[in-house]
This record gives sequence, structure tokens and C-alpha cells, in this order.
Amino acid sequence: MNTQPLNAQLIETLSMVMVITSVAAVEIRRLRLAAVAYSAQALLIVGLLLSFAAVNPSLYWWAGTAFLTKAVLTPWFLFRFIGKTQERELPPLIGFAPSVMVAAALMIGFYRLTHSQIALLAPTEMAQQEVFRTNLAVASTVFALGLYCVLTRRDAIKTVIGLCLLENGVHLSLVSLAPELSETALFGVATEVVVTVYLLLYVIAGVRQEFGTTDTLALKELQW
Amino acid sequence: MSEQIVTVTSSLPAAAFLVPLAAGALVFLGRKLQRAFWQGTALLASGITFLIGLRMSGQVLSGAVLTTWGNELRVDALSALMVVVIGGGGFLATLYSVRYVTRPGLLTRAGAEATARRMPTFYGLVLWFLATMVWGCVTNNIVMLYVAVEATTLTSGLLVAFYWDRRALEAGYKYLMLLTIGITFALLGCVLLYASAAATGQIDGGKALLISEVRHVAHLIPAGTALLIVAFLVIGFGTKAGIAPFHPWLPDAHAEAPTPVSVLLSGVMIKMAMYALARTVSIFYPNWPQLTVFAVALGTFTMVLGIVIALTQDDLKRLLAYSSVSQMGYVLVGLGLGTYLGCYGGLFHLLNHAIYKALLFMCVGAVIYATGIRKVSELGGLARSMPITSACFFLGALAIAGFPPLNGFMSKLTVYLALAKAGLWWAVVIALAASVLTMVVLVRAAYTVFWGSPQGAALAQLQVREVPVVMWVPMVILAGACVVLGIFPQAPFPLLDKAAAVLATVGR
Repeated sequence: MNTQPLNAQLIETLSMVMVITSVAAVEIRRLRLAAVAYSAQALLIVGLLLSFAAVNPSLYWWAGTAFLTKAVLTPWFLFRFIGKTQERELPPLIGFAPSVMVAAALMIGFYRLTHSQIALLAPTEMAQQEVFRTNLAVASTVFALGLYCVLTRRDAIKTVIGLCLLENGVHLSLVSLAPELSETALFGVATEVVVTVYLLLYVIAGVRQEFGTTDTLALKELQW
Repeated sequence: MSEQIVTVTSSLPAAAFLVPLAAGALVFLGRKLQRAFWQGTALLASGITFLIGLRMSGQVLSGAVLTTWGNELRVDALSALMVVVIGGGGFLATLYSVRYVTRPGLLTRAGAEATARRMPTFYGLVLWFLATMVWGCVTNNIVMLYVAVEATTLTSGLLVAFYWDRRALEAGYKYLMLLTIGITFALLGCVLLYASAAATGQIDGGKALLISEVRHVAHLIPAGTALLIVAFLVIGFGTKAGIAPFHPWLPDAHAEAPTPVSVLLSGVMIKMAMYALARTVSIFYPNWPQLTVFAVALGTFTMVLGIVIALTQDDLKRLLAYSSVSQMGYVLVGLGLGTYLGCYGGLFHLLNHAIYKALLFMCVGAVIYATGIRKVSELGGLARSMPITSACFFLGALAIAGFPPLNGFMSKLTVYLALAKAGLWWAVVIALAASVLTMVVLVRAAYTVFWGSPQGAALAQLQVREVPVVMWVPMVILAGACVVLGIFPQAPFPLLDKAAAVLATVGR
């Protein structure tokens, strides 16, 4: 594949901003703002997909699907759920300052690790070249940040945002790993995430009604 | 394999999942109609799926591999076996549900009117759940396999939380969250597998998506990447299959779901995930046989942990759920060995566990139907008033404990022999010990609930009666299958033999 038409500088800038918005979505305590950060991250993914589409036109299709599912539907579900009733997330298991440090360490460490050990993650020669290499490193960093968010946040809404980040990381990696993936497969993969988010928020709405909170630590009816 | 395999284009693989899919849509469309319509549609569609499974098995046995849509769907003996298990389990669970859901408080907490309003949703989702499971077993596309496995989570997520009380909501949240995270790892594994297969340059991009093609180039994938792929697949599909330590969602979901759904989750769904795991990971076996020890270690850990926790359970459904974790350990050990005998034992155990775990959950559901109680410590002496249920439960308990001449004995024995043949004696000892514990857990529960002296004030005030015919008929069928497959283990041999040959990649 001729990678000349790719605007490497643009892609790298978008990638870096995307990592920063991911950290913001994890760390911002005001739920609406966190959802805004997530939406920005989703728009950046669409931007990245469009940039890569210069060499792989099938990515236009993927970008369109991502726009609809990640940048429109998912934020819409999140904002509708958060509403005006709940402003701040419940205090997570880890304080703000240490959490930012962990997130920063994860961000730098994971990025460097995947960028240097790219051969493990990128079996194709193309994926080992810049800018695909940066793309994969960013994808795995976003994935790690999402996992970190799910593991350390008490607020169920925040765990959903973490899950979205986790998925976005994997989906971004498809640009480098599976450039020839068929449209039906991409459609299936993208649709499922949005349905998962919808169902999770639906169940969490039930949890909020029955338990009076979205605190996942309050869910302890079933132990052992 | 010396015999010739003929690829036959057939519409049956597509029909196997399109029928329940369309039937589910029909139930949703006809939500203003009567209960008879929803239940009739569900029974008919699951019955047809079962028959399609049998028909495909027949064709596969004559040496054919069925494909649809240019090899996108592909049914060999292994897939056909899975469709039979899913269709059969689905049909019996639906038949069982016909009366179960009519008792107030067993499907939802809401009143009779609200329950009736939600019933089409229940049957629609059950049908889609069946459809997605079948789809996962007939697809040959590695990414679609992920999509199908995740789709089973989505279609069953609301079924787990269907009761909509505190416990069910907690179980539903954990189920959706943990499984989605787990399955995302599987997506990463599947995509890496596809990319690595394409990178070998031996097959073109489109074909690298097909599991049947990837098999041929797996040995060219670099060791580091292969290890990463296997790790991701084990975490992903292993979570869904209830393999320890990824099992914590399982007891909650299987216990809190309405009983017909528990039957499907424990009897069928976790097997479908195990199928996905075996189908994908087995392609790495010929070149990395050291994976077998890892799989056997994980399997023995799962079987011991599951049954030890089951020992401490007072809730009958949680007890059965933990025993499912333990039993999946046996299946994993068998399939993980990668030898023909191991795969045969693993698949035979998969089939047997589907039968007796569905049976045991149905029996517990019958106890709940008759008494409203599910704690062992509050039950007792039900054998006199519920003779059929008690006989069925006792038979199921003996079968799962591996008591001869029942089916569980035959499949466990095969797994033990396979382990011994592979020289893994430590695993035989652990598996035997776990089997003894299973006997203690299940037979003790059976004895207390049905023959022990009645406990608890709640039970004393009840007029306990045997459950209706449509509930005990599926139980009797499954109990009969436990006996028949135990006495005539050669009955499923032709299909299991061919299915095991698909997975067996390490020696013969």
C-alpha cells in the first residue's frame, strides 16, 4: 500500500490530542464534562479514520459508522442518562492526584512500550511503519486507560465511559491491523458497542431506581 | 483423516439461525397477541432449529461439510453437534417455560398484568439468544465469531436482569460489564489472528478472515504474536465460558435469571463460548504443544475452585452455577489436551453437562415453582409430594458426580484416560478429587431437599404438589438421556468422533 498521501503530522497531532481527551474522560469528575471529553475523543477517532482513508477508501465507511455510533448515539445516551440530576461522579477508589499520576504513567509507559515492542502487536510490515506504528501505540494506550477507568471507578456511569474508551482503543487498532475488514464485520463490531452502552445504561437506570445510587460498591447483594 | 471431505453448498447453516431470528422478530411484532402465540412461535422455532441441527448432523456424518455464502458459514461435525445441543436445549427450556412463567412472581416481580405485558419481550429475547448462539457456531468468519459471541451477551443481558429486583439488576450489570470487557479482549485476539494470518502472505486478505483457512498458516505466525493472540482469546472466550479466574459473573447471572434462562445459560451458552475458544486456540496446537499443559492446569484449577465454592452454598441455584464452573473445567481439560481422546472426552462431557445441568436447573425451578423457596436449609422432605422431580434431581446429581452407569461417568472416564495417556497423572488425581467433591455437594443437596426432614416454618404451611406435566416432561426426557447415554455411550459416537477429529491436532 502506498502510504505517501498520508498526512503524518496531522495524524500524529490528532493521536496525541486523542490520548489527552481519553485521560480527561477518565479523570474529570463532573459527569457531563467527562461525557463531553468522551465525545471529543470520539470525534477525534472519526478524524483519524478520515485521515487514514486517504490510502484506504473503505475507511470512509468505517468513519461514517464510527461517527454515528461513537460520536452521536453513545454521547446522546450518556447525556440523556446523566441528565441534570447527578453532577459529580462518586469518589473513585483512588484519589484525584494519585489517579492523574497513574493515568499519566500508564499513558507514557504504555505508549513507549507498545511503540518500541511493535513487532508483537503488528504482524504486518505496513503496521510496523510510521504512522501505523503510532496508531497502534495510541490504540493500545487508549485501551489501557479504558481498562484503568473500569477497574478504579465506583460510579457505574464512569465504568461505562471506561468501557467505551476500551472499545475505542480496539476499534482504532483495526485501521492498522485489519485494513481489509469487510463492511458487514465493521458494522457488526460498531453496532454492538452502542447496543451494549444502551443496555448497560438501561440496567444502571434500574440500579439507580432500586438502590438509590449508581455506586457499584453498593451492589453487594450477591457475594459468594 | 483418510476419508474424503466433500464441501456442499447448503442453505441449512443459514436457516439454523435465521429461523429463530425471524421468529423472535415475529414475537416482538405480535406483542399485542396472546401468550399462546408467543410460546407457540418459540416452541416451533426452537424445534425447527433442533431438527435442522439433526439434519445437518446427518449430512455431516456422510462426509460432507456444509457451506453458505461463499464459505462465510461452514458446518462441520463440531458445528453440527453444537447446533443440536443449542436447538435441543432451547426447545426443552422453552417447553419447560410454558407453565413456569405463568406462576406469579417467577418471571417478574410485577403483578400478573405487567408480567403478561413483558412476556413477549421474554420470548423474543430467548429466540434471539438462541439465534445468536447458533450463528456463533456456524460462522466461519473470525471477526463474526466475536460479533456473535458478544451478541449472545446482548440478547441475554436483559434476560438475566428480567426479574428487575436488586439481585437481578446487580447480576445484570455485572454480566453485561464483565462479559463485554472480556469479549473485547477476544476481539483483539481475533483481529490479531486475522492480521497475522494475512501477513504470512500465504493467503489473501479475504481468506485470512476464514477460520478454516487460517488453520493452514497458523504455524507461520511468529511465536510472540501467537502467544499474545492465545492469551487474548483465553481471557475473552474464557470469561464467557466461565473459566476461573474469569468466572465471577457466572454464579450471579445463572442464579438470578428466570429458571428457563438459567437452563440456557448453564446448559448451552457457556458451551458455545467453549466452542469458540476451542475452535480458535486449537489452530495453534500443532506448533505450540506446550499450550496443552497450560490448558490442563487452567482446567484443573477451574474444576477445583468451582466445586470448593459450591460446597459453601446454601442457595440451590448458586450451588448449581458454581458446579457449572467446575464442570467447565473438565471440558477445558479434555479439549485442552488436544489429543483425539481428550477432545472426544471433552466434547462428550460438553454434551453430557448440557443434559444434566439443564435437568438439574429444571428440577430446582420445579422446587421453586412448588414452594417458592430455593435455600437448601429451608427445604426438606419433598420426595413424597414431588416424586418425579426428586427422582430426576437425584439421577442428575448422580450423573454429574460421575456415578456409573450414567453418562457423566462415561465422559469423565474418557477425560481421565486421555489425561493418563498424556502422562498427566497429577491432573487425573485432581479431577478425581473434584469428582468426589461434586458427589458430596450434589448428592447431599438432593438428600436434604427431598429426603431430609422438613425444615423452616415457611415450608410447613405449604401444600406442596408435583409440577404440571409440561414441566416434568422435559425433565424426564433429560433424565432418560442421562441413562441412555450412560448405558449406550456408543450412540453419539459417530458425531462425536468426527467432531473430535476436527479439534484433535496433537497426535492421535
